[in-house]
Amino acid sequence: MRNAIAIGGSAGSFKVVVELLTKIPKSYNIPIFLCLHRLKHVRNGFSEALSLRSNLKVVEPQDKDEILPGKIYLAPANYHLLVGLDGKFHLSVEEAVNHSRPSIDYLFSSAALHYGKYLTGVLLSGANRDGAIGMQHINMEGGQTIVQSPEESQVNTMPKSCLELFKPDLILESEQIINYLVGLKG
Amino acid sequence: MMEITNDEINKFVEAVKEQSSYDFSDYSEKSFRRRIEKLLNDNNCDVEKLISKLSKDSAFLNKIVKDITVNTTEMFRDPKMWHQLRYQLLPSFQNKEKIRIWHAGCSTGEELYSMLILLNEMGLFERTEVVGTDLNEDVLKVAKNGQYRYKFNMVYIENFDQVMKENPNNGEKYDLDYEKYFIIDKNRDLLKMNQFLLDKPTFQTHDLVSGKHELGEPFDLIICRNVLIYFNNNLQNKVFELFFKSLVPGGHLVIGVHESILGPLSNKFSKMAQVYQKK
Repeated sequence: MRNAIAIGGSAGSFKVVVELLTKIPKSYNIPIFLCLHRLKHVRNGFSEALSLRSNLKVVEPQDKDEILPGKIYLAPANYHLLVGLDGKFHLSVEEAVNHSRPSIDYLFSSAALHYGKYLTGVLLSGANRDGAIGMQHINMEGGQTIVQSPEESQVNTMPKSCLELFKPDLILESEQIINYLVGLKG
Repeated sequence: MMEITNDEINKFVEAVKEQSSYDFSDYSEKSFRRRIEKLLNDNNCDVEKLISKLSKDSAFLNKIVKDITVNTTEMFRDPKMWHQLRYQLLPSFQNKEKIRIWHAGCSTGEELYSMLILLNEMGLFERTEVVGTDLNEDVLKVAKNGQYRYKFNMVYIENFDQVMKENPNNGEKYDLDYEKYFIIDKNRDLLKMNQFLLDKPTFQTHDLVSGKHELGEPFDLIICRNVLIYFNNNLQNKVFELFFKSLVPGGHLVIGVHESILGPLSNKFSKMAQVYQKK
């Protein structure tokens, strides 16, 4: 089993993610899954915007795509993105969870089941409660959990609701999160 | 949320297969698992109890199958795809005397009505036959009724504007009133399709998994979006085979923006952006 990173965020997380992508070197060989809330009807241009300053290409996966190392995968607008037990991506248009599609909880829980202790989950700034349960699943399956510190988060509802649920491995400021992830080995 | 084992999923699938004509063994495991978990939560029971209940109670079994197979759909989802239909594909139908379109897995019908609106704007409405099918008769009832929640669909009105009111190729803008196609009642949270749209399509239950073509003459266009993501590769192949057989030579198939034809059928279709064509 190879390592993987799953990152969830909503309002106030875009800047952190862009910053992370500029720091990730071209040689990075851990796949990163991004689940970022955005407006329902904003369909295009988001992955391009993220790609602009990223050393690695940001792609929106197709259903049943293989997960490859060294790629940044962005949950497509208006779909849930899941990792199947077959280790491939699965997409779904099931109803929104916490008013969210993509749902961070769905991505995190499904990835936790497949990757177990090889998964690192990161929950960033955001204005709703999505992601907390997913983080707990990652924790239960033995994965690493990192929450952006509520004090430093632009909107702290998301990190806070996670901290109310369980104690994550690390509570870090965005710069520390970025350094930590960049330092991970595949 | 209740967690279930693979063994329990298999038992459940077996039980449903025994008691009904539905075979979920080739469903994509991931979303299937969560739907069963949701069922257990909603019914407040474990898999054992669920199985014993559905073996005794056929109405309950029916409801369970419906809960598992229900899908969401929206008006003018993915404007880019609709632009391609409007400016590339549908104009090539102008010389046909009759056009047959199949919305496979149409769910509550929002996309089917989007198609009817587009056909009407293009002057193709009268000569087109539109068939909507789904496994789930409850969603077909909603589709026949053509009445939706306004607030839920509000964000898609923007998609409607994008598809119906401007040409992305030259920036040209068109005037178009919603009232021509649907009535919005904000107080009652309703969006209701106009009668001439409701009168147009035929709806019928159909199980894609059965592989049976039972819908009459072949189709010029099949729309099946975000349905195949719930099937594993085996079942997808079976459905693509069915679509291939159900299309006229050179007929077209549109699937979800994030779906693709993989496997043996892939070289029997050519692809241009969002639209596949039967070779």
